[in-house]
Amino acid sequence: MIAEMPRDEVAIQGGPLPEILLPTNCPGCGIALPVAELRAHNYVCTDCGHHFRLGADIWIPLIADQGSWIERWSDVRSHDLLNWTVPKSYQETVETLLEEGLNEAVRTGTCTLAKKPIWLAAFDFGFVGGTLSIVAGERLARGMEQAASTGTPYVLVSASGGARMQEGVLALMQLAKVNAAVGRMHDAGVPFFSVLTDPTFGGTAASLALLGDINIAEPGAAIGFTGPRVIKQATYADLPPGFQSAEFQLAHGQVDMVVQRTELRPLLAHLLEMYS
Amino acid sequence: MSVWEIVELARHPDRPYSLDYIRRLAPDFIELHGDRLSADDPALVGGVGTWHRRTTMFLGHQKGRSLKERVGRNWGMMHPEGYRKALRLAHHAAKFGFPIVSLIDTPGAYPGAGAEERGIAAAIAQAIMEWFRIPVPIVAAVIGEGGSGGALGMGVADRVIMLENSIYSVASPEAAASIVWRDNSRKVEAAEQLQITSREIVGMGVVEEVVPEPNGSASADYDAAAGALDEALYRHMKPLLDEPSSQLLQHRYDRFRYIDSLIRAEPHFGPKID
Repeated sequence: MIAEMPRDEVAIQGGPLPEILLPTNCPGCGIALPVAELRAHNYVCTDCGHHFRLGADIWIPLIADQGSWIERWSDVRSHDLLNWTVPKSYQETVETLLEEGLNEAVRTGTCTLAKKPIWLAAFDFGFVGGTLSIVAGERLARGMEQAASTGTPYVLVSASGGARMQEGVLALMQLAKVNAAVGRMHDAGVPFFSVLTDPTFGGTAASLALLGDINIAEPGAAIGFTGPRVIKQATYADLPPGFQSAEFQLAHGQVDMVVQRTELRPLLAHLLEMYS
Repeated sequence: MSVWEIVELARHPDRPYSLDYIRRLAPDFIELHGDRLSADDPALVGGVGTWHRRTTMFLGHQKGRSLKERVGRNWGMMHPEGYRKALRLAHHAAKFGFPIVSLIDTPGAYPGAGAEERGIAAAIAQAIMEWFRIPVPIVAAVIGEGGSGGALGMGVADRVIMLENSIYSVASPEAAASIVWRDNSRKVEAAEQLQITSREIVGMGVVEEVVPEPNGSASADYDAAAGALDEALYRHMKPLLDEPSSQLLQHRYDRFRYIDSLIRAEPHFGPKID
């Protein structure tokens, strides 16, 4: 399918990728990887195919056409509503992360992909484990409502530990808020393509991430509801190798396909062509 | 009372469970079983009964009383089949125009390998989304433990109320302690930080009402507890029965869309939606 695509058209790279600090060694096979080579391969190890975890700052240019990204609601900020102090002050945690240049666990906006307009949302695992917070939920719901009302396809890239403990039950309520908005997109007939990356767990898996019209997982990504540590604690079960991997979820009918990151952009471009 | 004492009351083995309430609310209750796909999840009971002269669909997490029953009912922890059964019964209720009462009392969805293999995350996700499309009135009550996504999967409703000594939490105190402290023995601190008691939850605007329990706790007097729950549930249900379904669904959407409005009103939350 992808081979038949006009490659030079769909392989238009997104914007210039920002510099990131990377381990020199691949976590998959341990081989030393020059940063330039890694970037040229969309942060996939050229030796073993390990897919590096990426922040929203990398995902956005990997998906969006160069210069097309318009970020929305980046000024919406989380704050400490439960007076969370131990073991770490939540307010301080959030402020430190903001100073480090991370802007919440979800960033969203509009862009084009192979010249087709889309809404894009990317989780950032670096921000409190990519946890679904009030701000994350708000950015997602607002974008989905606009996607529904304008008939614009929605692309999600998830990497999340679930709901954010430090926002208590209101973080849990984001699952309902966001899923209601996903329902709006379904009612409007707007295509929703969900890309699940390593790791996608808990409340994020149990809400929007697995509700895509097409669920696309990255090779080797861990995807599930309860993390393996908790399952072992709760049930004393021995978990087989590959449990909750993308390939496991494919075999168990939860995702439509497992796709190499290098093939993702052409695939999304082709899907946008077919579903518009 | 300390937060942890409330947690212990919410989990008390003598506390009335869903069937104790349902049989008092609707003595002619008939249980319906199965998800029509592969199984019946005993951690969730569902069925029809006459409640205030109207056929009503009752759903509820059910913990077991004896050890054998606890094992059989999996301590009220649902598998994917439970959420699929709930949706089947919700569509059944919608077909016949029955209002739905959902009673929540679960530590969480089942954290086991089998549940993962059969798609527990997607089952909860699907349930949460589908509840927004069920065109009949839904009133939910947290009667004991409202644990995480497992509870919310049964908790999307037009009105949600809580019994006085019940809790509603993003994760069980043990799980939160394990996530935040990497040590689940810090559960007492976690419970205090998470703000999970009914008073705190109603203060955040997440539920509409706290229903007082008889003389300290529901375990002491099942009939009085059921009476108080009945009165509150029906008071919330009654105005919904006359709402046109399109309006009902819009209000249900808005209820959850703006559930964090107390926080949204803060100036640093940024500009309103454009």
